[in-house]
Amino acid sequence: MSMLPNQTLRRVTLVLMCLATPLAVAAQPSGELRVAVGIDPDTLDPLTNSLPIGNAIDLLVLNGLYRLGPTNNIVPDLATEHFYSADGMVLTVKLVTGRHFSNGDPLNAEAVAASFNRLLDPATGSIFAGLYASLGKAVAVGEDTVEFHLSEPNGHALMLLANSAAMIVNVGAAQAMGAEYGRRPVGSGPYIVEDYIGGERISLVPNPSYDGPTPATLTRITFIVVPEDGSRMALLETGDVDIAERVPPEAIPAIQALDHADVRLLPSMFSINMELVLRGALTDARVRQALNISVDRDGIAKGVLGDLGTPSVGMVGPGTQDDLRRTFEPLPYDPARARALLAEAGYGPGQLSLTMTCPTGRYIKDVQVCQALQGLWQSIGINVQANIVDRGTWSGVINTLPDARLDNMGMVGRATAGMDYTLYRLFYTGVGANRTGFSNARVDDLLRLGRATTDPGQQKEIYGEVQQIIWDEQPFVFLWYQKQAMGVGDAVKGFEVRPDETMLFQNVTVER
Amino acid sequence: MFVVRRLAAAVPALLVVSVLVFWFVDMIPGDPAVILAGPTATDQEIAAIRDFLGLNEPLGTRYILFLRGLFEPELATSFRTGRPVALEIAERLPTTLAIAVGGLLVGLVVGALSGVACALRQGTLTDTAITVLTLAGISMPIYWLGLLCIWLFAVNLGWLPAAGASTPAHFVLPILVVATRPAATFSRLVTANLLEVMGKDYLDTARSKGVSELRVILVHALRNSLIAAVSVAGVQFGAMLGGSVITETVFGVPGLGRLLVQAVGSSDYPIIQYCILMFAVFFIVINLATDLLTQWLDPRTRQPATR
Repeated sequence: MSMLPNQTLRRVTLVLMCLATPLAVAAQPSGELRVAVGIDPDTLDPLTNSLPIGNAIDLLVLNGLYRLGPTNNIVPDLATEHFYSADGMVLTVKLVTGRHFSNGDPLNAEAVAASFNRLLDPATGSIFAGLYASLGKAVAVGEDTVEFHLSEPNGHALMLLANSAAMIVNVGAAQAMGAEYGRRPVGSGPYIVEDYIGGERISLVPNPSYDGPTPATLTRITFIVVPEDGSRMALLETGDVDIAERVPPEAIPAIQALDHADVRLLPSMFSINMELVLRGALTDARVRQALNISVDRDGIAKGVLGDLGTPSVGMVGPGTQDDLRRTFEPLPYDPARARALLAEAGYGPGQLSLTMTCPTGRYIKDVQVCQALQGLWQSIGINVQANIVDRGTWSGVINTLPDARLDNMGMVGRATAGMDYTLYRLFYTGVGANRTGFSNARVDDLLRLGRATTDPGQQKEIYGEVQQIIWDEQPFVFLWYQKQAMGVGDAVKGFEVRPDETMLFQNVTVER
Repeated sequence: MFVVRRLAAAVPALLVVSVLVFWFVDMIPGDPAVILAGPTATDQEIAAIRDFLGLNEPLGTRYILFLRGLFEPELATSFRTGRPVALEIAERLPTTLAIAVGGLLVGLVVGALSGVACALRQGTLTDTAITVLTLAGISMPIYWLGLLCIWLFAVNLGWLPAAGASTPAHFVLPILVVATRPAATFSRLVTANLLEVMGKDYLDTARSKGVSELRVILVHALRNSLIAAVSVAGVQFGAMLGGSVITETVFGVPGLGRLLVQAVGSSDYPIIQYCILMFAVFFIVINLATDLLTQWLDPRTRQPATR
């Protein structure tokens, strides 16, 4: 009788082993993936990287306490749990133990705290030190606990921890390597950087000492930098690459016609608007409304953007933080009503002159959209001058304080994951990127409350009201949400792209 | 002595260039700190980055630091990558030079051969065909020609890779494309010069001595034609370095041109300043080399230097 359970156990074990064998084989990395990207990441150091391509590589090479998932949702990475102190001023995060960096250094609470304190120190050249300032200071408690002693209550700290800037770097290695760390970051992710040739290619191979739950699925991932759209598409057409990002509208039919690849149109949180400088005529809500309802958004999305845009139904783009996002009824296209509103505000045909600043090549068809807007507004009797400028001039203009601005509006795309991050910096009186001069006491109160509270229900209510006020007040001419067009080979499986335009390769396999 | 004098004269020229480059680049619209910080940064964040980059220092102080960077490379670092500018340039320079030198050599050989063919076959179909091709070569924009070559040789025929620089095959199309204009220019030049000297007495003398027609053309006539071609080659080489911006972008080649484009886009002052200064050095060196080569080919031009 006593033998039977043992025999059964052995048989079960044998069956399980047989079943497990193919799984183990399948888990081995196989296949090589080649990706044509339009821009060089410059650096892979999260301290100074601000580009989606840098994020995509960092997600493969580094770990975070949390990370953003396919819909910009927060998912745990190294973290196992978190909680706030009663006064909301200490955020405690517990993390997995026993993990290591690719150079063998332990990835423990001390390493995590050191990485955050490097990010928070402006003297390191961190471009995110200000954004993360509310995290205060990171302190290691034992092997598996990190405490953030916040400088102000922040109910959105997890969103900060999940952004790519907060990925964990090996501070010792970073100090020893200096700027070269940006080329070959030492992390704890499933891949390591094999080769980095600036402006040409970056290749990743599996991290041989990876000890986490999501090992590499590919034997190599090579990113080839090809800025010219036509050349990048040619690589996809010839089969030299498996994925080509940023398919231009005019190339979509050709890529769709290929028998080995297709175009995927994916949502992006890039919300592109004409941000108004609220002075003179533009302080009048009727004028702002006239500008908004005289824009044929559907026509622009189809006729100019080649369907690579979705007409805006709220200032905040999809994927910014969907559980807190609100959308509204689309604004009508009503030029007759717009003319009436202008007349009501005291502006007859030709009596109102406005200047807008537009970038060239920053957003899909930005110049053409500006020309379309110019025509639409001239058709309701507004004299519009479009200043189409290079990126440097544009960034200078849109970052000028409202009082010093010489123009009346500028085309800007906003794409920052997190509702607090996005709305506070754009609409709180006198801060950050609030270059419209927007000021609303109720919005300020709500943004302060929204930042402090950790209750998701309350946050939803607060940010819902903020979005409603902004939609009603119209400090922007709301335009469109960008769509991402990715050329993807049929052999590629499991490829995803986040709304912040970061490509995700964690689950990618290649079946040629 | 001639070389020493020319090099000594280049020093003040380079100093003037360095001042102009430094000053003009500093006036480029777009604050590097604003671009690095991103469009949602606060004034305080931008100020902290400006401070870190040393942009709050007076212009004169930064200029002196710029000059010191020429001798102490670790002082001059890229705003974007934090790496020494010298390292960034050293990594990209060989690629740009390979394409420029390769393009110039191909251009010289093809141009000389087609020029000779044109001169010897005046009024024939060969002459007409070469003339049409050279005119097309001179007038076609490099950008368009590059994309056309990718479409033909990479996408349709599949003979060559479309973009990148990881194998020698990747350099074929960029070299051929940059060679087009010099080849066409040399061809026209050689044809015109050959036609001019073909009836000269010294060639008849050579023929009367029993020298073969091939030797008359290649050694006596072509040598004189090459004197003008060498001067043009210097100018062409400089233009090719400048044109590398376009070629490298179209073919996804990581050279100095691409580095410069990226640097301008992000107002990476140190990269722009040192790159332009280096281009100025190249122009001076190329001019000097051209003069030396001309003196070697044409002994008459040596006289002023030996007085």
